[in-house]
Amino acid sequence: MLKYLYLFFLSFLLLSFSGCSLKSVEAPQEVVTTQESSPSDEEDETDDFLEEFADEEDEEEVYDPLNGYNRVMTNFNDKLFEYLLIPVAKGYKLVLHQEVRRSIENFFQNLYYPSRLVNNLLQGKFVYASEETGRFLINSTVGILGLFDPAKSQLNLKAHPEDLGQTLGFYGVGSGPHIVWPFLGPSNLRDSLALYPDALLNPIDYAPRSWYTLTDTFEEFLALKSLERVNKTSFDIHEYETIKKDAIDLYPYLRDLYEQYRDRQIQE
Amino acid sequence: MGIKKILLLCCMMIFSQNLLANEQIKLQEHFLSKIDKIVSIVKDKNLSATKRNAEIVTLLTPTFDFELMAKLSLGKKWKQVPKKDRQKFIDLYVKRMENSYSSKLDSYSNETVRIKEIKQPKKNRIAIVTDLVTQDKELEIIYKFHKPKRPKKDKDTWLIYDVEILGISILKADKAQFREFLKTKTIDDLMDVLVKS
Repeated sequence: MLKYLYLFFLSFLLLSFSGCSLKSVEAPQEVVTTQESSPSDEEDETDDFLEEFADEEDEEEVYDPLNGYNRVMTNFNDKLFEYLLIPVAKGYKLVLHQEVRRSIENFFQNLYYPSRLVNNLLQGKFVYASEETGRFLINSTVGILGLFDPAKSQLNLKAHPEDLGQTLGFYGVGSGPHIVWPFLGPSNLRDSLALYPDALLNPIDYAPRSWYTLTDTFEEFLALKSLERVNKTSFDIHEYETIKKDAIDLYPYLRDLYEQYRDRQIQE
Repeated sequence: MGIKKILLLCCMMIFSQNLLANEQIKLQEHFLSKIDKIVSIVKDKNLSATKRNAEIVTLLTPTFDFELMAKLSLGKKWKQVPKKDRQKFIDLYVKRMENSYSSKLDSYSNETVRIKEIKQPKKNRIAIVTDLVTQDKELEIIYKFHKPKRPKKDKDTWLIYDVEILGISILKADKAQFREFLKTKTIDDLMDVLVKS
């Protein structure tokens, strides 16, 4: 018995120290590289910040084989925003009162409940899933078909948006190459592939289904989707312009914003 | 080890914990007072937009480590910047940050700032996690501070080196676009663009 205990301890010690030895091998390497590249005192100071903020340093190159196409599409979307979406949203905002626009937004969000529910469940977020269900039941009835959001204003039940792209990311699926879609904007391979299964759960769709969908033809689908987009843009018309102002090079800037944002959503 | 020694050790540990906590509280108070001042400036309707922005810039300059941000935004490329151009790049970067900040203030309307959490991942790093609360939404903004080894002239003890809005770090975003830009163009080109923007 004692012998086994001893063996166990020995292996435990070995394992824990092997970790140490690995670390101690890695650490000097860093020191060596910085020493090599810092011949003068002046340089030493510059290196200082690089070493100090090494945790902020992520030199991983983004895998971007579609760079050329994406740049063209970013310009296309940019013009589309500038000359179509934003002017339309401005006019729309003038015509409709904020409360009405808020209700339209609520209505759409309520419709997307099935995909949020499924993705919360797939990620094992059962509390969120039940909160989403509560929201759907209350807002569809008391909130008159989802036009109002009493679940949040009265019961403080917040929405927990999750989509299949996030679910895949949650299980460790990498983002794949970045893709910019016309009209839709930045995306990546993972999130693009996830769009179709999510759409299956979505009542706004035009493909024939054995269950009820709000739209039957592509034209109806397009009209509703456009309304949703214009309505959404109307809440923050200057958002895109403010973001664009900080860009030196629009495409990589937007690409990075999108990927950082998605990574964060997946971590949540 | 005698009981006294153990007690002494415990005392020391508690004491050092307190020091850390004190530092956090101090920074939090300092941060909140800055925000209060900004809000009062923004709400002052008698000020013209340019005057307002100028006042806010003077108020915030001691809190931000723009120089470090400029360097970090270039990362390893910083070493390739000729020494004579370094200060020029930093100045341009600072100007750009000020413009960007001012343009964001234009869309300000009665938001309040609420501190959610204070993290201290390292002894010389503190992150203040805040919510910018609007009518019906919360926008999470994280201010990341560092404490330079030697205090800088005309600067606070703790300095902001990065701001994360909804998980998007402005530093990382700048880095990404600068890196891509410098793949095909030179530092001089980058500075030309910064002058124009």
